[in-house]
Amino acid sequence: MWGIFLESVVIFKNYMGFHENGYLAGIYLFMLLYLWLTEKDRHRRAVFVYAPTLLLLMFFCPLFRKLFVRVLDDAETYYRLLWLLQMSIVSAYGMVRLCGRHLRIGLAVMCVAVIACGNYVYDSEHITKADNAYHLPQDAVDIVDLMEPEEGRITVLVPADLIYYVRQYSTNIELPYGREMLINRWGYYNAMYEAMEQAEVIETKTFVTLTREYPCTYVVLKEDRRIEEPLTDYGFAVYGQVGEFVIYKDMTLADS
Amino acid sequence: MFSIISLLFWLLVIPFCIGLIPVRFLSPDRRNPGLVILAGYFCMWAVFGIVTIPAVLWVQYHNFSVASDCFTVLSILCAAAGLLVWYRNAKAGNPGLLTGRSREKSPMVWAERIEWFIFFGLAGFQLYKAAVYASFDGDDAYYVVASLIAQQADVMYRILPLTGGSTGLDVRHALAVFPMWVAFIAVKSDIHATIVSHVVMPLVLIPLTYLMYYEIGRILFRTETDGADGEEKERAAGTGRKKTGDRKTAGNREKLPVFMILMCMFQIFGNVSIYTNETFFLTRTWQGKAVAGSLVIPAFLWLFLALYDRIGKERRSEAGLWLLLACVNVTAGICSSIAIFIVSILTAVTAFCLMIVERDFKVLVKIGAACIPNLIYMGIYVIMAYSYLLG
Repeated sequence: MWGIFLESVVIFKNYMGFHENGYLAGIYLFMLLYLWLTEKDRHRRAVFVYAPTLLLLMFFCPLFRKLFVRVLDDAETYYRLLWLLQMSIVSAYGMVRLCGRHLRIGLAVMCVAVIACGNYVYDSEHITKADNAYHLPQDAVDIVDLMEPEEGRITVLVPADLIYYVRQYSTNIELPYGREMLINRWGYYNAMYEAMEQAEVIETKTFVTLTREYPCTYVVLKEDRRIEEPLTDYGFAVYGQVGEFVIYKDMTLADS
Repeated sequence: MFSIISLLFWLLVIPFCIGLIPVRFLSPDRRNPGLVILAGYFCMWAVFGIVTIPAVLWVQYHNFSVASDCFTVLSILCAAAGLLVWYRNAKAGNPGLLTGRSREKSPMVWAERIEWFIFFGLAGFQLYKAAVYASFDGDDAYYVVASLIAQQADVMYRILPLTGGSTGLDVRHALAVFPMWVAFIAVKSDIHATIVSHVVMPLVLIPLTYLMYYEIGRILFRTETDGADGEEKERAAGTGRKKTGDRKTAGNREKLPVFMILMCMFQIFGNVSIYTNETFFLTRTWQGKAVAGSLVIPAFLWLFLALYDRIGKERRSEAGLWLLLACVNVTAGICSSIAIFIVSILTAVTAFCLMIVERDFKVLVKIGAACIPNLIYMGIYVIMAYSYLLG
């Protein structure tokens, strides 16, 4: 039980970003305490004080966590219970009450506190200027445009960099494996993935045998990807190049 | 041009017209156009869930078309009913559905105007970032592709989004049909589902979320004269209370834009980890789970505040709030199957607390009754998840 409790503590700390010096949780807990002491309206106390406190206690309760994980068969989403606290709403309400009559100066102080304790979302490395209306990398769009058949579906082998995007642009392109292979903790195994991504140098003969099992009409490789023998020696032809990606077409499939 | 008209029709006109139905059963003091839209969205999503989940479960071929056609007919009928309610309400001379009871309001002071200006600047900044900047999220390889499959292959949850292979129903995702609503909008507007997800959805969902916060703020910073009927106001004026009331009115009203600015700040700087609902709100706005965290859960808070909120001296029974509570429950289910479990926990805990403060067991019974959709949803989930044990 103690171990489960400690796991909940770790989840809480990760959620609150303590390891990255995010202290918005401090503001929230302060405001929750402030509302405990000052909120007179009993209905607001129920919604903004009693319920969040009970939810926090439940979150740390090992028995509750065991039940949650057992019923949902999922331990990874336990942190979403903390969404129920709606920290920003409770904190903002507490802040406005705390400011009292000194609203303007209070607003300025509170904004500074939020900026100091928080983390600017648009600083995220995952947010970049969009290349196009799809909000997908332009290379992925161009590659699919080159390969997409006029009718029907084809299977295409692409490097990990493109796996997330190809099918967001066209579902006529199928993949031998998808995003599930890129997340180690999910523990999937796929021979094609091993040959394509895990091998330091692609072993061409095995690789080609595997691609023809699906069969992959096109194979996309980064131009600097190391490969024992060129694919062109095994019935592939260079079909085009987009940025750093070289597109090979399996001509043996084209013939059949 | 067709696309824009279609988007306006399905994202503005239809929800607005549907929203007129529940708003008819709300206190006139609550009514405003923003609430009509919000209520309309929750009712529309509930209808979508009720139509689409059975289609996912029991229709094998072209299940998206079946659900889409049924939903089109039902939503247009609901919208027509909303217009009829609006017309009959106006004809009967009742308080307006959009404006409620018109009251004299003291003019906005400059500082208040500036605060609202700052809020709209911050909200506009988020919309700009959402439209012009791309936010990478690995889950899009599932959710966005699920929408695109529905649009391009007319299939819901029978093709594996990650690779394209066929698959059996995955209970965890199959009941959360929010991506299918995105696909519906994509088909109706003839826009690629990925563009609808990444560009159109944030432009709709971010304002909707702030409308929700605005409604919460309206209750929290209610002005003293809100909800007092004319007679009460006159009495207050006669006894010299009006002046004090006006000052408090203005004072409380000024708190609302401050609250909204702080909400913006929390969203923009709430990225203390990848797990917070604030991070989800601005980096994966289009995913059902983000909608659950940022819009649906606050809607529960709003409803719990509103249900037991006293307007004037008496608490009024508002059937519209109970209807909305049921619809928000269904909406949670279409957003994410985890969401329906966690909002049920929220509902149970808050109802328990409200029961204690109200000293009335009926609170638990009434709120519990509004959660019947959750029980049905969870029943289907459990049966599907553990059906192999029966086989």
